[in-house]
Amino acid sequence: MDLNLKNTTYKQLLWIGMASITLFFAGLTSAVIVRSSESGWQDISMPKYFWYSTLVIILGSIFLIISKKTVKSGKNPADYIFLSFVCGVTFAIFQFKGWSSLVEQGKFFVGEGSSPASSFLYVITFAHLIHVIGGLISIFVTYTKSVNLKYSKENYLGIELTSIYWHFLDILWIYLFAFLLYII
Amino acid sequence: MSDHHNETFLSKYIFSLDHKMIAKQFLITGMFMGVVGMLMSILFRLQLSNPGESFAVLEWFLGEKWAPGGVLDPNMYLALVTMHGTILIFWVLTAGLTGTFANFLIPLQIGARDMASGFINMLSYWFFFAATVVLLTSLFVETGPAAAGWTIYPPLSALPQAIPGSGLGQDLWLIAMTLFIVSSLLGGLNYIVTILNLRTKGMSMTRLPLVMWALFIVAILGVLSFPVLLSASLLLVFDRTFGTSFYLSDIVIAGEALHHTGGSPILFEHLFWFLGHPEVYIILLPALGIVSEVISVNSRKPIFGYKAMVISLMAIAFLSFIVWGHHMFITGMDPFLGSVFTFTTLLIAIPSAVKVFNYLATLWRGSIRFTPAMLFAIGFVSTFITGGLTGIVLGDSALDINVHDTYFVVGHFHIVMGLSAIYGMFAGVYHWFPKMYGKMMNKKLGYIHFWVTFISAYGVFFPMHFLGLAGLPRRYYSNTAFPMFEGLTNINEIITFFAIVGGIVQVLFIFNFFYSIFYGTKASKNPWGSTTLEWTTPIERIHGNWPGEIPTVKRWAYDYSKPGYDIDFVPQTESLKEGEEEH
Amino acid sequence: MTNVFIVVISFLLVVTLVQLVRVGQLLGDIRKKDFNIVTESDNKRQSFLMLIVGLTFLTSCVWQYFAWNPLLLPSASSEHGVIIDELMRFTMILIISVFFLLHLFLFYFLHKYKKSSDKHKAYYYTHNNKLEFIWTIVPAIILTGVILYGLNVWDRITNADTSEASVIEVYGKQFGWSARYPGEDQKLGSYDYKLVGGANALGIDIDDENSLDDKVTRELHLVEGKPVLLKLRSQDIIHSAFMPHFRVQMNCVPGMTTQFTFTPTKTTKEMKMLEGDDFEYVLLCNKICGVAHYNMQMKVVVETQEEYDAWLLKQNTLSEKLLTQK
Repeated sequence: MDLNLKNTTYKQLLWIGMASITLFFAGLTSAVIVRSSESGWQDISMPKYFWYSTLVIILGSIFLIISKKTVKSGKNPADYIFLSFVCGVTFAIFQFKGWSSLVEQGKFFVGEGSSPASSFLYVITFAHLIHVIGGLISIFVTYTKSVNLKYSKENYLGIELTSIYWHFLDILWIYLFAFLLYII
Repeated sequence: MSDHHNETFLSKYIFSLDHKMIAKQFLITGMFMGVVGMLMSILFRLQLSNPGESFAVLEWFLGEKWAPGGVLDPNMYLALVTMHGTILIFWVLTAGLTGTFANFLIPLQIGARDMASGFINMLSYWFFFAATVVLLTSLFVETGPAAAGWTIYPPLSALPQAIPGSGLGQDLWLIAMTLFIVSSLLGGLNYIVTILNLRTKGMSMTRLPLVMWALFIVAILGVLSFPVLLSASLLLVFDRTFGTSFYLSDIVIAGEALHHTGGSPILFEHLFWFLGHPEVYIILLPALGIVSEVISVNSRKPIFGYKAMVISLMAIAFLSFIVWGHHMFITGMDPFLGSVFTFTTLLIAIPSAVKVFNYLATLWRGSIRFTPAMLFAIGFVSTFITGGLTGIVLGDSALDINVHDTYFVVGHFHIVMGLSAIYGMFAGVYHWFPKMYGKMMNKKLGYIHFWVTFISAYGVFFPMHFLGLAGLPRRYYSNTAFPMFEGLTNINEIITFFAIVGGIVQVLFIFNFFYSIFYGTKASKNPWGSTTLEWTTPIERIHGNWPGEIPTVKRWAYDYSKPGYDIDFVPQTESLKEGEEEH
Repeated sequence: MTNVFIVVISFLLVVTLVQLVRVGQLLGDIRKKDFNIVTESDNKRQSFLMLIVGLTFLTSCVWQYFAWNPLLLPSASSEHGVIIDELMRFTMILIISVFFLLHLFLFYFLHKYKKSSDKHKAYYYTHNNKLEFIWTIVPAIILTGVILYGLNVWDRITNADTSEASVIEVYGKQFGWSARYPGEDQKLGSYDYKLVGGANALGIDIDDENSLDDKVTRELHLVEGKPVLLKLRSQDIIHSAFMPHFRVQMNCVPGMTTQFTFTPTKTTKEMKMLEGDDFEYVLLCNKICGVAHYNMQMKVVVETQEEYDAWLLKQNTLSEKLLTQK
């Protein structure tokens, strides 16, 4: 396959994959909507860490945009990719922090003190984090590749794919977070 | 790309990246699962026609534990019904059908060397294989395989206290299904991208053969609906293993009040059928595509109303996402919602009717050649009519009240979805066998196979409508518990008789298939006189499909018996003559 | 011994098959023509078979109808059931005629347009917008009729007037049913699933004063011509309360209450006269629920007001049942 075709093909693969992931979360969130309209639904206030993690994941996206610009101008983007990786890891840490503060509030995943609302909250954020870990792995791979000078002005598909996926995780998180704020 | 001299056994037959080999892997795994699933149905049919009687064959297959003294255990009955449904719906008619023909035909018919990603394609098969292994393992678990029905409605599927199959058997079922979903997502991604990007020069979307359109739309359906099943079963897994309360509430079982409160089983049904209904069309559409192809080739006539065929495929696919509620009319849903679902459901009859009329119009004034593939395609048209019409009864919420979950439903979906899709699959295998293996399948055995299958399949499923109208619920271990159903035993005997005959005759097909691979007569390059691209490839399998350049496409796929030509088909690679209109 | 026998027979069958196929192939070799290519005589034979088998199939459908019609459910024993039956008859007539019509076309075309000689050429005909428009719009119009008719019936069933109806609770569990009558105060007492146990099989809150005169029974008795509102609950998993003679079905879901309103019109006695002495109304379970799903039933009796009152009087109230135990 020539390079152009390869670019469009892989990008499409990614887009359709992301559509699929969207439907997965649409399934979960619509379950919340159906459930929350019934009786016995209690609201939960979001821990502040989720606000921090929102900022951090956006920051990661910005670094990836910069690294794409850098590679296009012919320079090595490894440093910026590394920064976005750090952002991703911080995001994961903040998610764990958020969960532990929920636990301190007495909002558990299961057992006494749990409610459908809190169970849903954990499941949705956990499922998102699983996808973030996938994103972190691909950022890490692009990082090692760019350290080894595998990318050039013409060939930077890996960086592009990674950053599309990360932007997607970013937007997905903002949607989920807004959803959780509003519904749960 | 076209050299394959240094292929080892492993890279050629096992971890192959070649789409044609992967297709065969799907086909043979699917056939194997088909035999397993059909055998199960015969085992439980014996119990249904002769309730409580002893059969040596039951004890032989199921052992002393599940068929003590040769009498089928009621728990095992439910497990067999569940596994039969799961295997046939997902393993045979989803993976076996789409996996085979999408992998085999897409690159060949659009003019590509292989799938967009051979590696993802291989992964797709191996996830499917792993799923198969896990599912089969669950048959040998002490508490038996999953037994809550293929729809695994909680709480039944969530509580091992309610039925033994909901223990380890259900866990393995869920694992197998997760692997299966991953497999079909990977496959679906690949199919879509390949059709969009790798079409050869001149192959515009409007020149695609209909089977390509069908597989394309099926892939989109799969990619959009399977993730929702994944989220539904994820929540079920949490309920089962971690004690969350998504689907469970206020339950007392085995004398114990469970802690779950606030969940809703109906929520699962919504999520499940949001996949479940598109799944029906994931099964049906490839068969529609294959049949369009086979009917056109063997009537020596262009498919009538190509555009209408494509549009109706799209309409059916679109509607399939907004009709799921018709499985839930009697769950106490809001009556207004019920009305909406009745409306959308019955709308599906319109594009379906268009398809049937177009098939009939294609046959009209054709020059019909009765190959075994053509016979099965005709069988498809017949079952599609029969089963489609009874759908009008079931889609009507008011009528559904009294036939819901009775044998009327069993008859309906086996005919419209089971038989139709299986006939489509047989048609496809008979039609493309010469391309797959370079050999012909035996015609006479094919004829016998068709006629016995056609007669016995109707003999099995048509009488079921009467059982349903007599009020007999499905998934009943026996009809003897109610005096009102006692008269139905002789209908059940007829059904079982035909089930056994229909089961045995499949041996002919399997024999024909494997015998022909090794000893069949050599096929010519284009044995059916077909216009599409796959018949321009050389007979022996090569990696990369065409030895030289990929041919360019100059016309649509259905120029059969075109005036102005001596032969009755014009291949897609032939240029239009001066002044000739495309169609 | 039988196993050996089966193996030997299967082996011989396979050998025979192989030989038959071989002979066919050899004959083909001699004639220098592939045996598997479809010939004109094949077309003739297969299309003829198609016609014969097709017509036999259609005839057998008619036979099945006449042979098994007596086994089907008798006409409905409830007010709304009658309109369901009418809708069913209308739909059935429609789909059965389409079924016969399309199949006759199919079998006729297959016979008529078989490839009869090499010169026989099909008619190149790709589309006809007018024709296709007609056969899109005609089903659409017919279906609009079906939909409107169906929705009208659905609406009348689901929006039935419940103000006059007497309330009865139907409670399902693995594997049996019970019914609860509200007693003299006409109010069902409240319940909580945590109270289920011992003699209190339905988890009724005895501290609620409405509960005390409630009556729990193992049979469902209904009054002829009097609307009844069933409130359905389940103890453990999803069941479905199905009363085929009344055209009534509704799921029983743990954690929620569902309902169905209907009016029985024929007493059990009248039905015995029509259908034979062993006739009984039943309520059966129609959602897979476990090992004895096929035998989860409750007797239903429809009777006159006097008979009903007499029967209900004989049933113990909850307070009698539970308090005597204490």
